[in-house]
Amino acid sequence: MNAVLALTTGPLRAPRRGSRFAPTPSALSVLAFAVTTAFGLSVVGGLLGFMGRAENPSSDLVADLAPTYVTLAWVAVVLLLVPLLSLGAAAARLGVAQRDARLATLRLLGVTPREVVALTVIETARQGLIGAALGVVGHVLLLPVWTRIPFMDRPFTAGELWVGWLPVGVALLAVPLLAVVSGAISLRRVVISPLGVARRQTPPGMRWWRALAVVVALVAFLGFMRLNLALEEAVIIGLILGFVAFVFGTLNLLGPWTLSVLGRIMVRRAKTPARLLAARRLLDDPRGAWRVVGGLGLASFVAGVLSVVPGLQALGSDDDPAGTLLLDDLVTGAILTLAIAFTVAACSAGIIQAATVLDRRREYALQQLAGVPVELFDSVRRREVAAPLLFVSLTSAAVALVVLLPLFGMAAVTAPQGLLALAGCLLGGCLLVLGATETSRPLLRSVLRETVVRAD
Amino acid sequence: MSTPPPATTPCLSARGLVKTFGTTTALAGVDVDLADGEALAVMGPSGSGKSTLLHCLAGILRPDTGSVRLRGQEVASLGERDRSLLRRRSYGFVFQFGQLLSELPAQENVALPAMLLGTPRAEAVALARQWLGALGLAGMEDRRPGELSGGQAQRVAVARALITKPDVVFADEPTGALDQATGAEVMRILTETTYAAGASLVVVTHESSVADWCSRRIEMRDGSIVATSGVPR
Repeated sequence: MNAVLALTTGPLRAPRRGSRFAPTPSALSVLAFAVTTAFGLSVVGGLLGFMGRAENPSSDLVADLAPTYVTLAWVAVVLLLVPLLSLGAAAARLGVAQRDARLATLRLLGVTPREVVALTVIETARQGLIGAALGVVGHVLLLPVWTRIPFMDRPFTAGELWVGWLPVGVALLAVPLLAVVSGAISLRRVVISPLGVARRQTPPGMRWWRALAVVVALVAFLGFMRLNLALEEAVIIGLILGFVAFVFGTLNLLGPWTLSVLGRIMVRRAKTPARLLAARRLLDDPRGAWRVVGGLGLASFVAGVLSVVPGLQALGSDDDPAGTLLLDDLVTGAILTLAIAFTVAACSAGIIQAATVLDRRREYALQQLAGVPVELFDSVRRREVAAPLLFVSLTSAAVALVVLLPLFGMAAVTAPQGLLALAGCLLGGCLLVLGATETSRPLLRSVLRETVVRAD
Repeated sequence: MSTPPPATTPCLSARGLVKTFGTTTALAGVDVDLADGEALAVMGPSGSGKSTLLHCLAGILRPDTGSVRLRGQEVASLGERDRSLLRRRSYGFVFQFGQLLSELPAQENVALPAMLLGTPRAEAVALARQWLGALGLAGMEDRRPGELSGGQAQRVAVARALITKPDVVFADEPTGALDQATGAEVMRILTETTYAAGASLVVVTHESSVADWCSRRIEMRDGSIVATSGVPR
């Protein structure tokens, strides 16, 4: 294993790639791990803050409401867990992608598969650890932001939201571990074939039963909700939370399948090379596309839920201070969750596009040699992200609205501020994600410069 | 040493090509002509400058000095965008491997260059199917690169290079990733089809058996042409 240690400080270390305008893949990976850690700790900090208030309530009102807030904070944790994990996994894949060629070369030189895995484990874990450490700093730096937001009529103090050293220690272990597991999975193709050749084949179609399973579950859930509409408000809120978790699960089940259907339609209708390539890529890997836009699809669903809250407020009575406070904070919490989800989704999109550029560098370089304009790759990338992004975000929001209508009646859509907030969130989120993918533009040019001009 | 001028008016002509990378001289004043329908093999060991010559002839690299003319029109001094357009319109390329887009089936890989030049998709795909059929790949139009053998993938690459009716096809070690028998079959198809399509062919290779398929060959050492054999077709 001495050779492994020597290699991690030598040939495996990725060289600095690109110009002063092109972020290095290593920096992007570390940044993604840092964002994952910072927001992950912040969300946990919020949960711990609410738990603290539940244990030591400052008033009777807080004592009454605190358990509900803890439940809501758990929902936020659940909602943000998968997008955060996806971002961490994407960062690990990017970290491996930049070493792919060197690892394949090492395999040809006789380095064993076990050693290749060990090399990757060490290097990816190192990136994860640096990212996690920076994320802890990020968590501390974000505390002044979170302490400006009032919950239960007063903002949290930094002390309430600081997660403590135990969760920090857990993060410093868990993030590198996530990086290692994800990186090792990405490595399979290098280990399997010393030539590092991706044997891309027609992927099996997504199964239609996914859609059927979701429809059956949805109908069953709606029937259940109808039976329980006469229950207490607190129980209804609890059911709403369960419903949010339910839709979250179904979105992740249904998402890749719907994107594969969208891809098939786009392939049939494509008239230009950019549209055809974008459509083929979507159809080729709907799960990968879902990993980019799934976070935003979820955020859009939350936005859909958020849009009915003003309707709920309109229905509530003014002489119920606890109810008014809860609904106000529900809106605040939903906006906060949305903002974090959008940020995480944008980071994921940027990271995954950067990894794609590195994965396909030879393909891109040869296309450019053959006269394919580099602008085509830009156009394909935008379409590849934009098409599923718009489809997923609009569909998710629409599903949220349609499904919530039976719960809240027409009040949900007659309160225009809710719909305006929904539209604003969708627009902002989509622009943020599309903007994040543009970060791979200078990386692409940098990779092409490096790959194309090579004297023999 | 320069190649003797071909008997007919050259389709592609280079004069005094010099290209350096830092302190390394990759091309040290190369003259070369390529006649219509001619198949030229560029041979030489690693570092001899053969790939740099191909890149300069194909408009991928701009020489430091010297000229490259395609049908009398100077192309070496064109800007990046114009050279990219030139490669799309007038040249075809066959590389060692990896030039096919992995997400596209064979027929769309072949159709793509035609679509980039404005041919409607249906027409481009129909043309691509004809080419694939002519190269013995009928029934494989919907297969993706990962579902084709190395030889089949190179035949798809040949079809892709020829679909736009180029003036010149450039092949950089086209059989480098193939076994000898498959490589010979690919070279037979490449030379015969290119000739039948009325295009000229430049093949960079270090294998004599590959160069044997061409009508003329030049040998390069240290950025210069040191030997030439064969006659222009």
